[in-house]
Amino acid sequence: MAVGPRLTHVIESQQFSRSSLEELFARSEEIKREPHRFMARLNGQVMAALFYEPSTRTRLSFEAAMMRLGGWTMGTDNAREFSSSAKGETLEDTIRIVSGYADVIVLRHNEEGAAKRAAAVSSVPIINAGDGAGQHPTQALLDIYTIKDELNKIDGIRVAMVGDLANGRTVRSLTYLLSKFKDIKIWFVAPPQVAMREDIKAHLTEHNIPWVETEDLDSVLPEVDVVYQTRIQKERFADPADYEALKGIYRIDKRSLGLMRKYAILMHPLPRVDEIAPEVDADPRAAYFRQAHNGLHVRMALLDRLLG
Amino acid sequence: MSITEKRLKATVMDADQIRRSLSRIAHEIAERNRGIDGLVLVGVFSKGDHLARRLAVNLAGLEGAAVAVGVLDTSKHRDDGHLRQPSHRATSHIPEIDGKVVVLVDDVIHHGRTARAAMDALLDFGRPRAIQLAVLIDRGHRELPIRPDYIGKNVPTSDTERIEVLVEEEDGIDQAVIVVS
Repeated sequence: MAVGPRLTHVIESQQFSRSSLEELFARSEEIKREPHRFMARLNGQVMAALFYEPSTRTRLSFEAAMMRLGGWTMGTDNAREFSSSAKGETLEDTIRIVSGYADVIVLRHNEEGAAKRAAAVSSVPIINAGDGAGQHPTQALLDIYTIKDELNKIDGIRVAMVGDLANGRTVRSLTYLLSKFKDIKIWFVAPPQVAMREDIKAHLTEHNIPWVETEDLDSVLPEVDVVYQTRIQKERFADPADYEALKGIYRIDKRSLGLMRKYAILMHPLPRVDEIAPEVDADPRAAYFRQAHNGLHVRMALLDRLLG
Repeated sequence: MSITEKRLKATVMDADQIRRSLSRIAHEIAERNRGIDGLVLVGVFSKGDHLARRLAVNLAGLEGAAVAVGVLDTSKHRDDGHLRQPSHRATSHIPEIDGKVVVLVDDVIHHGRTARAAMDALLDFGRPRAIQLAVLIDRGHRELPIRPDYIGKNVPTSDTERIEVLVEEEDGIDQAVIVVS
């Protein structure tokens, strides 16, 4: 079914062309609407989930995706502490071994660039499920699919990315994907300590995508179609005092909803701490649970594309 | 025939999604036309007229002024009149459209033949400066060179499927569903 060159590894979101994204969206949509048609697509194939960093949702979402396509999964949650890596085995050696057991490897690692290193030695497709503060391409795929699903378009949209933009790999991956569409405008709303890094801003400038940096969330809310809120990532701060100074800086509550457009959507990669008040959940613009749910269908579409 | 007599395949839009789509389309209409000056909304009977009225409410909320709304019966201009049972006819009510920008509003676009008939029917009432087309759902399979300017949701479908849009004013609920006849 795949058109164009076969997808081998999923390492970073830049690798997806606009047409391959549209193809993936169409397949995700089909799976979402008629899941039963796909329940035996990957019969007998095995997915290995190698997680060197904790993650519940991403891992469960991948496992559910594989099983709903009729495949099997195996994996380890604490690859760093409990596997041969604790004995000093390199990531490369682990991948060489596991690629003999599985048809696809889903890798979450604490070091930026780990997925690329894995892909260089793997005999089966590698899917990057997050590499340090690097990228999280499948999250970006489900994010951009959610935008398409909720707003029926991506060209011409205005997006605010809010919160920890320095450590948030999801916003980095999503920005790369947005840059493939037309007439996009992006606001980066963050305090200077966790502002969006220069590489992404340079990428946008190079692609003629207007972007604005600000610390004032309220002034941006009425302007945008998508508010992408993120968590201040406590675990990536060396000094707890730096985290304390920033936590709770942008909180979206009922009052913020009043500033947003009636059709705009509020997204969040989850987990959230207190950056979105629970009172917001009941508003139809709160799209984050639908977004998480979309992850299943997008990952099914991706596995289907890699292995089907 | 009610939906319960056919096989319901999937809900493609619920009430919230319909409401948010209309709100977004209203923003897009206001943005593209730089306001609502000289704008007329004309809903295609039936369903489109309800959607046109709701878009007008949205636009009034955004721009703080009323937009003229009309309803259009396309039956005399259809190209399949000889194939269809005569059905309930509405009377068209069209405000002044000479020199105005008319946004035609319909629930679903499929082959594009209703939109073609609607443009023909509309031109009996005057000469608008421009005609734009807004639809809640675009299900593809166009047979004429017609493309909507504003789309609530693209829903790829097969020919054996039908899309039905239910509106609260007539059906007691807002919902868009795919049914298999």
